[in-house]
Amino acid sequence: MSRGKLWEKLRPYVMIGPAMIGIGLFVIYPLFYLIYLSLFKFNLMNRNMSKFVGLDNYIQILGRQDFYKSLTNTVVYTAGVVILTLALSLLIAVWLSKRTRVNAIVQAGIFTPHIISIVSVSLIWLWMMEPSLGFLNYILKGLGLPTSQWLQSSKSAMMSIIIVSVWQAIGYYTLILVAALQGVSPTIYEAAALDNASKVKVFRKITLPLISPQLFFILIIMTIGSFKVFDTVKIMTGGGPNNATNTLVYYIYSYRTTNIGYAAAAGVVLMIIIGILTIIYFRLMAKKVHYQ
Amino acid sequence: MASIEFVNVTKEFDKKEIIKDLNLKIEDGTFTVLVGPSGCGKTTLLRMIAGIGPQTSGAVLIDGKDVTDIAPGKRGVAMVFQNYAIYPTMSVRENIEFGLKNNKVKKAERTELVESISAAVGLTDFLDRKPSTLSGGQRQRIALARAMVKKPSVFLMDEPLSNLDAKLRAQMRIDLIELHKKLGTTFVYVTHDQVEAMSMADTIVLMNQGLIQQEAPPETIYHEPSNIFVAQFIGVPPMNIDELGVGGVKFGFRPESAIGSTEAGTTPFSIRGEVVTREMLGSETLYKINYKDTSFMIKSLEDRFTVNQQVYVSVPTEKMYFFGEDGNRIPTSHPSYSSYIEALRSY
Repeated sequence: MSRGKLWEKLRPYVMIGPAMIGIGLFVIYPLFYLIYLSLFKFNLMNRNMSKFVGLDNYIQILGRQDFYKSLTNTVVYTAGVVILTLALSLLIAVWLSKRTRVNAIVQAGIFTPHIISIVSVSLIWLWMMEPSLGFLNYILKGLGLPTSQWLQSSKSAMMSIIIVSVWQAIGYYTLILVAALQGVSPTIYEAAALDNASKVKVFRKITLPLISPQLFFILIIMTIGSFKVFDTVKIMTGGGPNNATNTLVYYIYSYRTTNIGYAAAAGVVLMIIIGILTIIYFRLMAKKVHYQ
Repeated sequence: MASIEFVNVTKEFDKKEIIKDLNLKIEDGTFTVLVGPSGCGKTTLLRMIAGIGPQTSGAVLIDGKDVTDIAPGKRGVAMVFQNYAIYPTMSVRENIEFGLKNNKVKKAERTELVESISAAVGLTDFLDRKPSTLSGGQRQRIALARAMVKKPSVFLMDEPLSNLDAKLRAQMRIDLIELHKKLGTTFVYVTHDQVEAMSMADTIVLMNQGLIQQEAPPETIYHEPSNIFVAQFIGVPPMNIDELGVGGVKFGFRPESAIGSTEAGTTPFSIRGEVVTREMLGSETLYKINYKDTSFMIKSLEDRFTVNQQVYVSVPTEKMYFFGEDGNRIPTSHPSYSSYIEALRSY
């Protein structure tokens, strides 16, 4: 009797046990370990030589110019990628939302970059963006347009990385938006036509609100993802030239051997920034999103 | 107010002709019901009037004016869709005034119109709610209010009651008849339900496979069907029809025209059969009577017979219908009409 009752009480915990162990081991433990590390001047050669320094690492971060530089770079990158990707994939999705054979082929084409490794994509673009022999400048020259130094100049390097990221991301988000657009009942558009609504009005008052959950999803996912950008930077510029493309994660990465405690503290700061951004999004946008 | 006219209208979907060379005139101010089985082209006709599914060739005239090149929103028509097509992200008020806003109606006038129309359909308390929080009947009313508020000259309705439960449907039928009386505008109503057609229409247009089978008031459609299809489509249960055995001619009679009795009748059509099923519906009773290798449905106001009982069924001569080989009804003035009546004796 009492054993049965005990089992009755324990059962739910036993059931979620395996999942909780996984989460604990791979999410909660690393998270707290990261915070723990950030409080130390950590010695990789000999752990016992590590010194507890309290919030020193954080104080240092907030006082250093290069941190703010990489934070600004990350914000510029994120804003560029999120705005361009949202705008372009919405535009392409509206164009592709009609179910025709041509559209299916185009959509498959646009989606392809998504299935290619970002390393290969970066390498190919690196090659195409080479200032004197690259394909892009060849085309620009051919069209009589001014050429660019692309990744080699601190002025255009960030733009170049944004172009590559947007190019790679568009297909996936277009796919999501096309599905959302096709999910809108055609009779709603017919009703709007009978209500004498102009095309712009239909788009603003009917289409956009109806796909707002997907747009909001993309906004959040892309913001978080862009704040954590690393691979394109690592391969294409290595943070340069002159730190022009040094982003937060790359900044953390550059301290991976020299100052673990400092890198950990920067990681925590990044996490807090992303968390605050997400909360702001939900506060500001939740009212404009129409869940059905 | 407006009349509607179809002139040699053809509609193709993927090279398949759904409607071919159709001509139809819908008079101003009438309640016209387009009825027929699914796929007969009735909704297609309705969408042509609205302009949201234009004809392949031919012309649609509203008030004598060809509207082919006029946008749906500028035709002076309003439509109630089968699934209501309410804008889910807008409140009830925004739904109703959307058309007015697009037509640049002033705010004060808009508010007044919305208030008066929503009071008329009983939505006043829900104006600031989202449609998703309302019941099917209330959404139906939003769709109606949205159509009414534009004061259209033509009301189009595409099976608007099919998503409602039986009781609400009966109520809405009466509401729609009253609405039509009050507004006096042209109503074009599409349904596959012959009960809706019979109860509401001034004129029924019965269609099958893209062709108009008959266009007449409900009484005429019921008492003088032009062919077998009409005779069997209208009426519950449908008209009993069987081969007469003379030159491919068929005869038919309505279930309520038959008189069941325990004694042999004296009319030309008088048979003796066995009751197989009995359906007591309250005010009337339906019997299925087996005779030779066929069966007939009869409807009686009295509940006198039991299953397996042998009964006589007779039908008064004036209530018999005859249909030629092509399916068309043979009029009483036809020279061989009396010979067909005689042929019934040997059935």
